[in-house]
Amino acid sequence: MKRVFEHPPEKLTGKRYWRSLGELSDTPEFRGWLEREFPAGAAQLEGDEWSRRGFLKVMGASMALAGFGLTSCRRPEAHLVPFTKSTEWAIPGKPLFYATAMPRRTGALPLVVTTHDGRPTKIDGNPLHPASGGATDAFAQASILDLYDPARSKRFVEKGERDEKGKKVENFEPRDRAYFEKYLAELRTQIAAEGGAGLAFLVEEVHSPTRERLRAELQKTFPRMRWCVYDSVLSEAQSFATSLSFGENSRLVPRFERADVVLALDSDFLDCGEGDLAAIRAFSSRRRITEAKDSMNRLYVVENRFTLTGAMADHRLRCPASQIPAFTHALAGKVAAATKDAGLFSTIATLTAPAGAMSFDEQWLTELANDLVSKPGASLVLAGAHQPVVVQLLAYAINSALKNVGSTLIVREFMRTPKTNSILQLAADINSGRIKQLFIFGGDPVYNAPRALTQDRETKAPVDWADLQKKVPDVVRLGYYEDATSSLSRWHVPAAHYLETWGDALTWEGAYLAVQPMILPLFGGLSELDLMNALLGGPKVDGPELVQETFRATAPPGDFAAAWARLLRDGFAPHIVPKDKPPTFNANNAGGVAHTLWATAPNPTPDSPEIVLVRSSNMDDGRYINNGWLQELPDPVTKLTWDNAALMSPAYAKHLGVKNGDLINIAIKETTLDANQKPMNRELIIAALISPGHADNSITISLGYGRKQTGPVGEEAGFNGYLLRTSSNPHFIAADAKTVTKVTVTKAAGTYALAITQEHWSIEGRALVREATLERYREDPEFVKKLGGDDELPPGKLPSLYSHPPLTAEQQWGMTVDLNVCTGCSACIVACQSENNIPIVGKLQVSHGRAMHWLRLDRYYASEKPFNPDRGEYPENPEMVHEPMMCQHCENAPCETVCPVNATVHSEDGLNVMAYNRCIGTRYCANNCPFKVRRFNYFDYNQRPIGKKKIMGVSVYQEYLGPLTEKGAADTVKLQKNPNVTVRMRGVMEKCTYCVQRIEEAKISAKVKAGPSDKTRIPRDSFTTACAQACPADAIVFGDVKDPESRVSKIKKQDRNYRLLEYLNVSTRTSYLARIRNPNPKMPDAGRIAVASLGHHGPQHAETGSHSPHHAPPTKGEHDFNQHEHVSPTPTPIPTPEEKH
Amino acid sequence: MANFFPRWTNWLPLKIAVCGVVIVCGLTAATWYYVTPKYTRVGYQPIQPVPFPHDMHVTQLGMDCRYCHSFVDVAAHSNLPSTQTCMACHQQVQKDNPKLEPLRASWKTGQPIEWVQLHRTPDYVYYNHAAHVNRGISCASCHGEVHNMPVVYHAKPHSMAWCLECHRNPENFLRPEKQIYKLSWKPEWENPKEFVAKYGQPKDAKDDWSKKEKLTQQEIGQTLKERWNIQPPLNCQGCHR
Repeated sequence: MKRVFEHPPEKLTGKRYWRSLGELSDTPEFRGWLEREFPAGAAQLEGDEWSRRGFLKVMGASMALAGFGLTSCRRPEAHLVPFTKSTEWAIPGKPLFYATAMPRRTGALPLVVTTHDGRPTKIDGNPLHPASGGATDAFAQASILDLYDPARSKRFVEKGERDEKGKKVENFEPRDRAYFEKYLAELRTQIAAEGGAGLAFLVEEVHSPTRERLRAELQKTFPRMRWCVYDSVLSEAQSFATSLSFGENSRLVPRFERADVVLALDSDFLDCGEGDLAAIRAFSSRRRITEAKDSMNRLYVVENRFTLTGAMADHRLRCPASQIPAFTHALAGKVAAATKDAGLFSTIATLTAPAGAMSFDEQWLTELANDLVSKPGASLVLAGAHQPVVVQLLAYAINSALKNVGSTLIVREFMRTPKTNSILQLAADINSGRIKQLFIFGGDPVYNAPRALTQDRETKAPVDWADLQKKVPDVVRLGYYEDATSSLSRWHVPAAHYLETWGDALTWEGAYLAVQPMILPLFGGLSELDLMNALLGGPKVDGPELVQETFRATAPPGDFAAAWARLLRDGFAPHIVPKDKPPTFNANNAGGVAHTLWATAPNPTPDSPEIVLVRSSNMDDGRYINNGWLQELPDPVTKLTWDNAALMSPAYAKHLGVKNGDLINIAIKETTLDANQKPMNRELIIAALISPGHADNSITISLGYGRKQTGPVGEEAGFNGYLLRTSSNPHFIAADAKTVTKVTVTKAAGTYALAITQEHWSIEGRALVREATLERYREDPEFVKKLGGDDELPPGKLPSLYSHPPLTAEQQWGMTVDLNVCTGCSACIVACQSENNIPIVGKLQVSHGRAMHWLRLDRYYASEKPFNPDRGEYPENPEMVHEPMMCQHCENAPCETVCPVNATVHSEDGLNVMAYNRCIGTRYCANNCPFKVRRFNYFDYNQRPIGKKKIMGVSVYQEYLGPLTEKGAADTVKLQKNPNVTVRMRGVMEKCTYCVQRIEEAKISAKVKAGPSDKTRIPRDSFTTACAQACPADAIVFGDVKDPESRVSKIKKQDRNYRLLEYLNVSTRTSYLARIRNPNPKMPDAGRIAVASLGHHGPQHAETGSHSPHHAPPTKGEHDFNQHEHVSPTPTPIPTPEEKH
Repeated sequence: MANFFPRWTNWLPLKIAVCGVVIVCGLTAATWYYVTPKYTRVGYQPIQPVPFPHDMHVTQLGMDCRYCHSFVDVAAHSNLPSTQTCMACHQQVQKDNPKLEPLRASWKTGQPIEWVQLHRTPDYVYYNHAAHVNRGISCASCHGEVHNMPVVYHAKPHSMAWCLECHRNPENFLRPEKQIYKLSWKPEWENPKEFVAKYGQPKDAKDDWSKKEKLTQQEIGQTLKERWNIQPPLNCQGCHR
């Protein structure tokens, strides 16, 4: 007689959570992912060239051959090599920490970098500075991999011509630095002779005071030079609108901690790459509640695609990006009527509601306006950076009318480069032949500059950057890769990584940060400061002299040497305080410009959709294309890896007749004429991806993919959205009759394989995600304990069949994850990957479910409607919840009981530990893990790197190719590895260890400090795991659960705390805090928000209610460290056990 | 037809089988016993580029281990001395000794000396020197009587079982903090009265140990283990991460 365990029944009707449309319609593919730990293809070598049988045969033969040699009988001689001269601070085996900063377009991020024996290995936020607060994002975490990228540019290259049988052939000649410097000196005299008339710079947006100082000096030396700042995903609309409304050199800083109501108009401010970490932390501080009587903010989001901000929203409206102006206009009217604000009235006075624009739910709009108006000075309206100037101006006017400017929206003085040219002006200058010397620092304009920058002077046909660049005789390109721009330049100069060079940078708010190198340039790269200095004819500098000079000018108090040392130690200069500007909104300016620029596109239709081009949350503008961590990091919303795709709503996909991965053809017909006097037609063939919650008749393409000329990892990743992008329509393309006459999307022939992880590691279980509205939470603070069958468990500790080692250690480790503040930004995944030497596996392996991430982010949609396209049923406007999932460190761990070799066992401080050297790879543990968090090394991913390989003349990309490639990782890649974590090999199981190396390090430090005494206790909350450290929202908290005063213990006592699959009696150490949404009860959609996880008990409970209902959770407020004697032999949890023979 | 196989061959298969079993068992047993770190590692004595006599430096000259292995009590690794450390003395002492030629060459050229590694832990073992020497484990417990070695050699097996011997019963090895780097220390050296006055004695000890003539290693170890809250990790994570 055998008991078959059944999970508690799930309700069949009403709102529920699902991870993919496949799950919602219960396809066989999804059942496969759900029911097998390693679904079809994962455990087989199927589809690969080798069958399992063939593989074993070959392996057997090679083993036998190896036996003859007995080569490893003698111990090889190894050497220990100490320094010749002792180095200051260097202690072999002890990490050193340096404060530095990562320069970025919106503002630098203060960092602390861990170095082991001179190699930077891990990046973390600088806890001393509020712009980071110790947190990082995925880009900062992953940027360390770029430093060690074997494909990065390593040489100076000069393009020339060489004679080949009388024919001139283009030739790329590697040069050394001295040769380049000689060329530069010659070029300098040439430039000086003309006063810089032919000199131009094309640089990226970086806020470095030293670069600005050198630019000013260059301008003095070469008065007629041109300085052009271009960043492909940075919108000039916002900075233009800001300076118009608040004066020159202004920057607006949102103060989320003061805002009760926030409206995001296509603004993804929770996305780390676009917003800043201080904003995320401030926003989270208003969402974090510790008890039912706490208040929280309310977030409204209007957007065309699901963003992380949309996932956080209490109310979300799907609206095509081209209709945001119409929405903003309608809202401005309501707010103006309510506030009677003269400025807002004057701004919108001349604007008329556009004809043919989308109509909005009147109640939605009115209640939103009422909610905003009811919180004057404590509301906030944010417009997305890529919305046009009019939307920015209207948003400012609304904020001003709501008295938010100066309260929730601070105006700061911010250094901006004066009189920068746009790339359009530069293009015109090049086109007219005025530019003779062009310096391109970073970027990749051939790849990412807008198309049709200017017109050909004769044919009037549009000209792209690539053609323009060819017209300049001397182009010097400072680049990280030898890319498309380099190949059209006379000189390519290798760029140094920011961890290799001296520099400085400003944060988003204008605080001064030092950029300090921790390693000499690995491949002799230069920084843009070096190049500018050389061009100025300054003496060659290797040290911080250039930055010191800038810093000296800021007049640091006291002794300069001491101030400099302090700057390097802390990473920032506290004496430079950003200045506030008077928060006065210039309604006159705004009104005038709004009137001139007011234009809206008609509402997109199925036959004339809009195309929205957005920054990729993984690739940024394309700069991380060769970064394997970011390539393999699932997109936080779509869970797509290694590619981008055209996102569309299920209804629109049905209209086009496409499924995931089907290729579609996007054709855009413009009003401009090409060389043949025909209207320009831009086309892109791209794979489709159905994204629930996307606006209908709208297609979103993330930029940054399809950058063909970089390195082997990313060259074949995705589709290049820049091909559709023109200077007149940089962010969204809709048939507005002015520049674009027609947008056609049709199904193209063929399909494209997309590696989507949304169904991978699906868990069959109940109430994994729990959420409620604030209202319901206040009614029933214990609601979370009544879900998922938790309330039907018998009181006290449940018995376990197995005996477990006693949990006797003085400190016991545990974790909490607050779903209420987790934004899903995925910084934790990359932080974990960086800390724990987790390999990347390649696209094919990901699609087989072999991704190695120890921490995954499960993304759930919640909706009422099923997915049945045939009957026209779509989950139109689902909600989204993110749930980080890693090893839960069960006290009654099911994995441990099935391991035949005791490779996974429990430690006395409550960790479920893995001894890699014992593991023989049976994978029983993974099959028995209810959370599916164990990862198996199917191949030697560390030994055989992913990338481009040529096999029998055919290039193969992004794949693990096993024995078909040579063994051994690139030396630089080895340098990145954390020396305190074993690099695992093929055939070994691995999983989250709670960063056991950090726990042990803390224990050892405490012991070393204790010395001959018994004070060996690790100080409370003195260290944390990599994921918790990186989390910008502070959603993950790790610590000692036995100490009642530790942060984690206090959090575990909160009402919202629950453990997953409690009814399985696995007694997990990681627990979650339920998500609370704060919908406005007056809104039309309020009734359906955050109701999906409710109702798991109720009628069913009444039917099966064999137990007295006790709503107190069995383990509330205490932790089960010890096994107790159990009274009840069979607790019979919720399910009705089915008997089988 | 004559009997092709003589009579004695009747037993041959059995004999072969028995011999086979004996040989296989013997080989297994011998491998089991001898192909272990106790035999394969102990005694390893490579030739070093500079024949550094530990006995002379430590026993004759009375140098502390930490003069050269300066980070042993702060870091996981016990570092080898830089050429600079050696030259601090040898610029004056033994300036012309031909055996020190590699040292002088290193100092002149800046090329480090390549010492041959003697004790090697596998990559998956995370041993921490500082955690041991600060908590009552002497260098001698793992490296043997280095102070008596003219040429240093591998003295202990450094196998996992050997590690666990101490992790299970640390009292057999603990010594007072002042004696960690005094490699020749013996438990008999401790004055029971002073020892008990300083460290006390275990709670469950019946008689007064300060009245004893001598203290044994177990008594010293028991006292220190209790006094210092010594709990060596016995789980995997202690050494494997």
